[in-house]
Amino acid sequence: MTDLKTDTMFVNMGPQHPSTHGVLRLGLTLSGEIIVKAEPDIGYLHRGTEKLAELRGYHQCVVMTDRWDYVSAMPNNLVFCLAAEKLMNLEISSRANYLRVLMCEINRIASHLLFLGTYGIDIGAYTPFLYAFREREMVLDLFEMACGARTTFNYIRIGGVSADLPQGWTEKCREFLNYFKGKIREYDDLLTYNPIFLDRTKTVGILSKETALDWGLTGPNLRGSGVPYDVRKTDPYCVYDKLDFDVCVGETGSCWDRYHVRVLEMTQSIRIVEQCLGQLPAGDVMAKGVAKIPKPPAGEAYAHVEASRGDLGIYLVADGSSAPYRLHARAPSYINLAVLQEILTGLKLADVIAILGSTDIVLGEVDR
Amino acid sequence: MVPDAAIAKLKERFSGLQLMEPAPVKGHLSVKLSGPSKLIGVIKMLKDELGYEFLDFITAVDWKGPVDLKGYIVNPNPNPFMPEGVRSQMISEPPTPGFPYREAIEVIYALSNWAAKSRIFVRVETTRGDPRVPSLIFLWKGADWQEREIFDLLGVVFEGHPNLKKILTPDFIKGHPLRKDYVHIKDKYD
Amino acid sequence: MLGAYAARFDFDRLGVIPRPSPRQADVMIVAGTVVKKMAEPIITIYHQMPEPKFVISMGSCANCGGPYYDSYSVVKGVDKIIPVDVYVAGCPPRPEALQYAVIKLQEKIGRLAPTRQAMASPIQEKGARVWYRMRLSPNLRKDLAVCN
Repeated sequence: MTDLKTDTMFVNMGPQHPSTHGVLRLGLTLSGEIIVKAEPDIGYLHRGTEKLAELRGYHQCVVMTDRWDYVSAMPNNLVFCLAAEKLMNLEISSRANYLRVLMCEINRIASHLLFLGTYGIDIGAYTPFLYAFREREMVLDLFEMACGARTTFNYIRIGGVSADLPQGWTEKCREFLNYFKGKIREYDDLLTYNPIFLDRTKTVGILSKETALDWGLTGPNLRGSGVPYDVRKTDPYCVYDKLDFDVCVGETGSCWDRYHVRVLEMTQSIRIVEQCLGQLPAGDVMAKGVAKIPKPPAGEAYAHVEASRGDLGIYLVADGSSAPYRLHARAPSYINLAVLQEILTGLKLADVIAILGSTDIVLGEVDR
Repeated sequence: MVPDAAIAKLKERFSGLQLMEPAPVKGHLSVKLSGPSKLIGVIKMLKDELGYEFLDFITAVDWKGPVDLKGYIVNPNPNPFMPEGVRSQMISEPPTPGFPYREAIEVIYALSNWAAKSRIFVRVETTRGDPRVPSLIFLWKGADWQEREIFDLLGVVFEGHPNLKKILTPDFIKGHPLRKDYVHIKDKYD
Repeated sequence: MLGAYAARFDFDRLGVIPRPSPRQADVMIVAGTVVKKMAEPIITIYHQMPEPKFVISMGSCANCGGPYYDSYSVVKGVDKIIPVDVYVAGCPPRPEALQYAVIKLQEKIGRLAPTRQAMASPIQEKGARVWYRMRLSPNLRKDLAVCN
């Protein structure tokens, strides 16, 4: 057997594979069933938004940010507005700040629900998908009430938010939160502690603390490895310093830990939303004196927020004209995806989907 | 480590280092290096001795045009309407003798120190004609794709990078789109 | 698009069943921006689909480039590379819009059916080819323009 001549095989996964959540191509070199080399190939959704931002006005850029991480667009809006407001020295009203946090956290719930549903499908469980989407539709209804759109909101604008909450929104939101609290246990029964699910994820894709930090991972992927880094705590923006919540961390950094951190985060988001609803002050939602075509003075700004997928940062250079001189997005999905090159090596082909799903990438943000 | 002490230590060891004051990026430290040769030393010291252990991001800015006192381009971005995508974005004025003119690609490294809640921007300039900076991939593996992205979009060559090739744009798009004088050549899909 | 498949909107009741491979599919839904790097794979996928095949272009980005009309790396409309049967407006379209598009496509196929029967051939492949040519003929196109 030893002198049997063997050769590696190249398997091309994507760019239209149903499990890659978009247009990601994975070039896998296999030796039998073991992966020798994994090479993610991206750029199949590269729309050049960083260049286009140099041609658009500041208000138009907000629209563009919506389409990066289209699953959770609120933090994207927020981070661009924070950076632009730093350049323009705008003061944001307290009510607008609360509304921003409120929307971001509801969006985090929606985003994690989508992850939960699609990760279930990846592993082979179809039912949680239907359950998760049932709840997600309710969240999207809340968004639709507030800003008229289901996924790409353009709700958080430079200077505040586009509109105040409509009548009856807070009651509906509370109703949803009360309903949703019980549902998390349902997910636990269905998926989280399902023995088949545990077998497929608990020992797979272990990502140590050191590897995670080395690759610059952030968000639930980093917290799954046991590093309690959360921008909401370390560098609070808006009103997060007035709110009480925990940073959820995993233990070993396996796929299951990354999954479980997201489930726990949904409970924390419920807590935050409840506090926001309780503390919501009255007042204006838009700052006075935001120009129709803002021309901030030449300068640079960096703002970052804890988006649903990690530390989303915007580095913005203004040159005194109506469009940014340079916009760079520190896209968490992009940086999180790169780690696949390392963790996939040496694993079996069947585990690729489990690991890829657990990193929870959105290709719109990867390629921008 | 207090940020001020970190800067003092850095200044002591590296002569060409300049702390930018007031900081261009509000609320964060910025240091400017005189050239790419000292980059590895500075970053290594920041990482190993001063606690800036996390590589936030790497980016680059293309500066081209006449500048004001602070170093920003004065010629405002004309924001042209480009339905065909064939015009260059900025019709840059040629340098006038006697007036300051900036023509460089600035590579920016953001490192953060979570314990001290501090972030530092290390900035280094290279030429536009042949931009070269050393790669940081042996310090952080996360630098891999970020450097490839900058190579793809701005054409900065990271020396020592094992796999420096295009990552986002397809092969038939020539040039580096994020450069200010990028001219889009019509291809088969336009 | 995922929302259309899931609990509330339930795409299955319209007879839409997602298939993992283009070789088993009748309809391709192009959802999202078509960038130049993706253009080649899309053409390949289109050719992999068996006849008769239909394409739904979903969203402004796939229709005409949408907000990226002046981008250097976006194909301004998927109809520049493959024929499209139904266009869905919106950025992104609501699930209802996508479902309406499927209903419209079903109507369109319904109108095509007699032509196909007339052209049917014992050799199925040949029949399909003739039918396909009919489908692309200008007169028929004009007839179908109402659908689009």
